[in-house]
Amino acid sequence: MTKSRVRLFSIGLVSGWIIVFGGAPLLLVLVTSFLGQHPQKFYELSFSLKSYIQLIDATYLEVMFRSVRLATLTTLFCLFAGYPFAWLTYRLHQRYRLTVLILLMIPFWTNSLIRTYAVRMILGTQGLTNKVLLAAGIIDSPVRLMYTDSAVILGLIYLMLPFMILPLYANMEKFDYRLVEASRDLGAGPLQTFRSVVVPLTLPGVIAGCIMVFVPTMGLFYVATLLGGGRKLLVGNLIQHHFLVSHNWPLGSAMSLVLILMMVSMLGLYWLVLRRFSARRPIL
Amino acid sequence: MMNNKMTWLAFVLIALQPVSILASEKVYIYNWTEYIPDAVLEQFTSETGIKVIYSTYESNETMYAKLKLIKGEGYDLVFPSTYFVSKMSKEGMLQPLNHALLPNLAALDTSLMDKAFDPGNVYSIPYMWGSTGIGVNGDAIAASEVNSWQDLWRKEYRGQVLLQDDMREVFHMALRIKGYSSNSRNPREIEEAYELLKELMPNVLVFNSDSPRLPYLAGEVNVGMIWNGEAWMAQQENKAITYIYPSEGANFWVDSFVIPAGAENVENAHTFINFMLRADIAKACVEENGFATPVTAALQLLDETVRSSEVIFPPAEIVKAGEFQTDVGEALPVYQMYWEKLRSGSSSQ
Amino acid sequence: MKKSSLLYYITVFAYLYLPICILVLNAFNANRYGLRWDGFTFQWFVAMVHNHGLMEAARNSLLVAVSSASLATFLGFFGAVGMYLYRFRGRQVLQGTLLTMLMVPDIILAIAFLILFILLGVSLGFWSLLLAHVTFCLPFSVITVLARMQGFDPYLLDAARDLGASEGQVLHRIVFPLLRPALLASWLLSFTLSLDDVIVSSFVTGPTFDVLPLKIFSMVKVGVKPEVNALATLMIVVSVVFVLISQLLLKEKK
Repeated sequence: MTKSRVRLFSIGLVSGWIIVFGGAPLLLVLVTSFLGQHPQKFYELSFSLKSYIQLIDATYLEVMFRSVRLATLTTLFCLFAGYPFAWLTYRLHQRYRLTVLILLMIPFWTNSLIRTYAVRMILGTQGLTNKVLLAAGIIDSPVRLMYTDSAVILGLIYLMLPFMILPLYANMEKFDYRLVEASRDLGAGPLQTFRSVVVPLTLPGVIAGCIMVFVPTMGLFYVATLLGGGRKLLVGNLIQHHFLVSHNWPLGSAMSLVLILMMVSMLGLYWLVLRRFSARRPIL
Repeated sequence: MMNNKMTWLAFVLIALQPVSILASEKVYIYNWTEYIPDAVLEQFTSETGIKVIYSTYESNETMYAKLKLIKGEGYDLVFPSTYFVSKMSKEGMLQPLNHALLPNLAALDTSLMDKAFDPGNVYSIPYMWGSTGIGVNGDAIAASEVNSWQDLWRKEYRGQVLLQDDMREVFHMALRIKGYSSNSRNPREIEEAYELLKELMPNVLVFNSDSPRLPYLAGEVNVGMIWNGEAWMAQQENKAITYIYPSEGANFWVDSFVIPAGAENVENAHTFINFMLRADIAKACVEENGFATPVTAALQLLDETVRSSEVIFPPAEIVKAGEFQTDVGEALPVYQMYWEKLRSGSSSQ
Repeated sequence: MKKSSLLYYITVFAYLYLPICILVLNAFNANRYGLRWDGFTFQWFVAMVHNHGLMEAARNSLLVAVSSASLATFLGFFGAVGMYLYRFRGRQVLQGTLLTMLMVPDIILAIAFLILFILLGVSLGFWSLLLAHVTFCLPFSVITVLARMQGFDPYLLDAARDLGASEGQVLHRIVFPLLRPALLASWLLSFTLSLDDVIVSSFVTGPTFDVLPLKIFSMVKVGVKPEVNALATLMIVVSVVFVLISQLLLKEKK
C-alpha cells in the first residue's frame, strides 16, 4: 500500500467516525443551549440566552465546585494507588504481567452497580467493617460509614482505578530500565533518579491516566447517589435531571457546554505543563 | 413448586407449537424488570400463542423521553406511573383503549377507575396501585411515636431520615402538612411547601432512588418514607419494620397499562391486558410484588395474611384521607425550580 | 519480589476483591438480602438459569462488549497512529473533538445518538448499540495508545521506509508490535465501559435487544434479585478460568 493510501485510510476512517458520531452530540449541545425553554416540550425553536443567564447562580457554582473537588480527590487517590501498581507490574517478569493485568480487570467485568452494592455491604452499619471493628473492641457502637463523602470517594476509586493503571502501564511498559541503572551509576540517589528520570518519561502516562479518571468522574453520579445518599447534587445529577425530569433541554445543554469548556481549559493547562517536560513532539 | 410446573408446562406447550405460530403473533412490552412474573408471561404465550417480547426501563423519565423521541413506535404496551399517564395522554403519545376488547374490565374495583388523571379510563387501565407512607423500624423507634408526616421534622431525627428521590412525593408531604392539595398548581402554596421542606433538610440522611426497603433492612435508616409494597416485603424479612399511614394523608399512586400511539400489535396488547385482569393472574402479581391489585375477584384467592393486610389493602377511610397523584401541568416548572434549590444547596449538614 | 512490593499488591488486590468476595458469598447465601448468613444454597443459580430475560440480556451484552472493544481498539490504533505520525490539516481539530467527546455527559450522548440514528435510519438494536459504544470507547482507546507513542522514535520509521518498506509494512511490522500492550489495555478498558453502560444503552437499544446493565439497574430499583449475584459470580468464575488457561498456555510456550 502506498503511503498516501494508508494515510488516507487511517485518517479518513477515524476522522469520519469522529465527525459523524462524535460531532453529533456536540452539535446537539451547542445548538440546543441557545434554544428557548418550553414547559410542555423539550425545547422551543427560538434563539434565547436565557439558559446561560440562569446559570449565573450561586447554587450552580457550588454544585460545580463540589464536583470538581470530588473528581480531583478521586484522581489523586487513583494516581497514588495506581502509579506504584503500574510500575511494579512493569518490573515483573514478562510472563506474569498479563496475568496481573487480567486479575486487575476481572472485578471490572462484573457490573459496577452490583459491585457498588457489595461495597454497601462492607461499609454498612451492619456491614463487614463495623462487625470487625466491634468484634475487635475498637468501637462501642457502629460507625456511620455509609452515606458519607468518604464512602463516595472509596466507591469512585474502586470504579476508576483501572482507568488510571492501564494507560500508566501502557506507557511504562516501554520504559528503558537501563536509564535508571545509568542514573544510579552516575551517583544519583533513588529519589533523584525518580524525579529526574522516571517522572518525566512516565508523565504522558500520568497525564493520560488523570484525564481518563478526572473527566468521567465529573459526569458520574450514581455512585454518589448510592453511597453518598444523594443529598448534595453533583453536576452529573443536575444535567441528567434537566434532561429527563425537568425536560429542560436548553438549560441542560447550557450546563453541559459550560462543563465541557471548563474541562477543556483545565486540559489546556495540562498540555502547557506537558510541553515544559516533553523533549519531543507533544502528543495532545 | 407451582411456578416450576407451569414453566415446564409452558415450555412443553411452546415446544409443541408449530414454528409458524411462534413467529407470527407478538406483543412488545416495555416495563420495569420483574414487574410481571415470568411464569405469567409464559402462561400468556402458552394460552394465546402470542409471543411476549419484554424490554425494560429503569425510570419513568427515561421511558417518557425515549417514547417521545421514537414517537411511540416499537412498543405495544407500557406501564407509566401516575401523573405520567395524564402527561403522555395530553401530549398525544397514547392511543385510546377499546373497552369492547376488555371484558374483564367489569371485575375491577370502581373506586380506582375514572380517576382525575384519566377520566373514563380512555387511555389507561390500572395495573397495580399503592401508597407512599412512613416506614419505621420498631426496634429502634417506637412505631406508636410516629403517625404523621410532621413527625419526620422532629429534632431528634436529625440525620436519620430517608426520603424518596421523587420531587412530587417529597412535596406531597409538605403540601399536605400545610393543608393544601398534593396536586396544587398554586405557586404560593408550592413556595410555602418549599420553605417547610428546607427545615427538614438537616434531618435527611439519604434521598433514596432504588429499592427503599434496603436501607431499613440494613439498619442504616430507622424512619422515613417508604412505599407500602416495599414495607410489606421488608416485613417478611424483619417483623419490626412497620408501615404507617400518616394522618395528613398518604400519597396514593397507580401504575397503569397504556398503549403508545404508534403501537403495531394493538389487538394483541388488548388481549394481554384482558389476560392480566383475570383473578388468578392478578393474584400471582400481588404475591410477587406486594402491591395491591384493582381486580376485586383476586382478593378471594389470596392468602389470608395478604388479604387482611392493611399495608397492601388499606381501609376506605385511609384512602379517602390520602390523595391520588395526578399531573400538575404548567405548574411543573415551579416545583422543579424549588426541588433543584432544595437539592443543590448546602442546607443539609 | 521484594516483601514491600508483595504487600502492596496484596493490599490493592484485597481492596479490589473484597466486594467481589462478598458478592460471591451472597450468591450462595439463602438470605436474599445478604444481611446474615442463612445457609448455603444453589437456588439463586437455578433461578438465574430460569430467568430467560436475564440470560439473554447477558448474552447480548457480551456480544456488544466484545464487538465494541475490538472495533474501538482497531479504530483507536489507526486514530492514534494517524494523529501522531502524520501531519495533516485539521489534526488539532480532530484531537480536540476526540477529547471533548470524553467530556460530554452520558445523557446527552444518549439523546444525540438516538436522534442521529432515527435520522440515519439505523435500526435500534445490536447495530445502534455497537455504533454508540464504539463512539464513547474511542477516546479512551486513542488516548491509551497515544500515551504509549509518546517518545516514539520517528526516525525508526524513516529508516524502515528508506530500506524500502511500504507504509503498510511499516505499520504492520514495526508500529503494531510496539503498540501491542497499549492495544490490549485499550481493549480491556473498552470492554469494561461497554459492559457497564446504562443510560446510552437504554436510549439506543431496541425492543428486541435487552442489555444486561439496563436490566440490572431496573432490577435493583424494583427490588434486589439475588440471581444477579449468581450471574456476577458466574462471570467471575469464567474470567478466572480464562486466566488460568492462558497462564498454562504461556507456560507451555516457554
